[in-house]
Amino acid sequence: MDNYKIIVADSDHKNREMICALLTSRGYQVYQSHDSGETLRTSRSLFPDLVIIDVNLIGINAFRTAGIIEEDKVSNVIFITNKVDPAFYDQLKKMNIFAYITKPINPEQLYQTVEFCINNVIKVNSLQLKIINLETELKNRKLIEKAKGILIKKLGISEDESYKHLRKKSMDLCIPIYKLAEKIIENYK
Amino acid sequence: MSSYSKEELLNKVEELGLEFIHLQFTDIMGVMKSVSIMPHQLEKALDGKIMFDGSSIDGFVRIEESDMYLKPDLSTFTVFPWTNFQKEARLICDVYNVDGTPFEGCPRNTLKRIQGEAKDMGYIFEVGPECEFFMFQTDENGNPSFEAHDAASYFDFAPIDLGGSARNEMTMFLKQMGFKIETSHHEAAPGQHEIDFEYDDALTAADNIMTFKMVVRIIAQRHGLHATFMPKPKFGVNGSGMHLNMSLSSLDLNNAFYDENNELGLSNIAYNFLGGLLKHAKAYTAITNPTINSYKRLVPGYEAPVLIAWSPNNRSPLIRIPAERGAGTRIELRSPDPSANPYLALSAALKAGLDGIKNKIEPVKQVSSNVYEMGIDEIEKRGIERLPGNLHEALKELSKDEVIKSSLGDYAYERFLESASYEWNEYSKYISQWEIDRYLRKF
Repeated sequence: MDNYKIIVADSDHKNREMICALLTSRGYQVYQSHDSGETLRTSRSLFPDLVIIDVNLIGINAFRTAGIIEEDKVSNVIFITNKVDPAFYDQLKKMNIFAYITKPINPEQLYQTVEFCINNVIKVNSLQLKIINLETELKNRKLIEKAKGILIKKLGISEDESYKHLRKKSMDLCIPIYKLAEKIIENYK
Repeated sequence: MSSYSKEELLNKVEELGLEFIHLQFTDIMGVMKSVSIMPHQLEKALDGKIMFDGSSIDGFVRIEESDMYLKPDLSTFTVFPWTNFQKEARLICDVYNVDGTPFEGCPRNTLKRIQGEAKDMGYIFEVGPECEFFMFQTDENGNPSFEAHDAASYFDFAPIDLGGSARNEMTMFLKQMGFKIETSHHEAAPGQHEIDFEYDDALTAADNIMTFKMVVRIIAQRHGLHATFMPKPKFGVNGSGMHLNMSLSSLDLNNAFYDENNELGLSNIAYNFLGGLLKHAKAYTAITNPTINSYKRLVPGYEAPVLIAWSPNNRSPLIRIPAERGAGTRIELRSPDPSANPYLALSAALKAGLDGIKNKIEPVKQVSSNVYEMGIDEIEKRGIERLPGNLHEALKELSKDEVIKSSLGDYAYERFLESASYEWNEYSKYISQWEIDRYLRKF
């Protein structure tokens, strides 16, 4: 396996050591934390590929800790639990990955879930990045269209001329064309 | 911060899909309290009809006078920017009595009253606070520890400045909430940080200090750290102060402290304000430094003031005059610490300054840097006085000063005295480790 970084957050010393041993033998770079405070500090220092959190983690509630890690885009979290009930599912739905590990830990299940999560997260992240880029592009195009419309109306020129005007002006001022469009829209409000 | 009307606010809350709105207010000792409501109760809240039990708040009332109302200040509506899941917002409120009169024990009402006195004299009081604080790691029980790193995580990774990145995030969120941050940096002691925000009118500045403390605590927790505003958490290391940069502007917004014809560039108003601050320093120290621990900070050697003196260029006196002139002319009071109730601290400081102006008080002579190297006899010979050495002394000094007492008002003064005296009494009964180490075997 690739040298992925994983943090194991479990307040139960024996459990934690066992999971670490299993993952280390698989070739992962494993770090441990004992409580939610330490989990947050270690995650923010390492930016690991995965954080595995036991639902009974001491300190701030495990789900809130996981929420903070994912909201601030520090990493992705999967839970270890001994009880799967509707309340747990509700929490899971808020997470980036809908996956969990049950106790008692089955080594094969652990490996499969970890591999599944890390690899799919990589895919999801690249998709998310594509979406963000597309959304930005779309937003900028709309701004440019609107600015063009304003110029056509105010200066009485053609669509082609107005685009040329925008492009030249943005080059002269050394600012991206969408930023110039924003300024024009704001000025003519 | 911009203000919404009642209608705009109701629409905004629905538009944002807020889950909770926190109605925030501050108790006498400066601790933030809140009553959390759901969006469907917002209209009732905006009409000032949300009630709470005043007797549940320390220092507010006794049981017989319980019901109190919260009247939100719509201009303080702020959405918490740090979570995408559960959107929450807050409104800072003034506390009112059942009969519709402002509750005298509400510190925000107190500051509004003194601000009103300043306005009657033709002045607007502007304050720029500099707040220091510590961030500590927590141990396995969640208690703050003084350890520099986690034992387990010492290996492998490059030293990441956890506190620094938490502070950067705090600064980012504060800006999103409308704060104008002047500087944000590490301070002298390990784990210590400082964030300074731009000056504003006193009420907004005090609201900002309360908001700032809330943001620091929440973001620190999100970083696995514990933030504290305790004035002196560790012996032998700098403590945390809350310096107040103060100025008065005229009602047409010119800085009333500036006089280009004076040799120091200060106006008579500035000198009189300074005179008032110096004259009442012993009295208002109980308010600007209200905890036992506050006085552990006010000791020589750590850049905290001890003597009642002022200097235009020295860095460690009680009052410093920063070099800037023109619109930025101001007086810096360096004694307050962040355990103070910002509303009461600003009320007391303003009242002292206004008293100086009313009575044309001339400040004592300025001091040069040598005074800090003088012995006690020399200092006494020169008539330089000291700040109170502990909370008990400070409360005694406060009880003798009718001007500063009146800045709180009878009701708030009685409650404040009660709370602070309780602190002193409890502390006096406590046997500290220092005493055991020192006396158990010796005697």
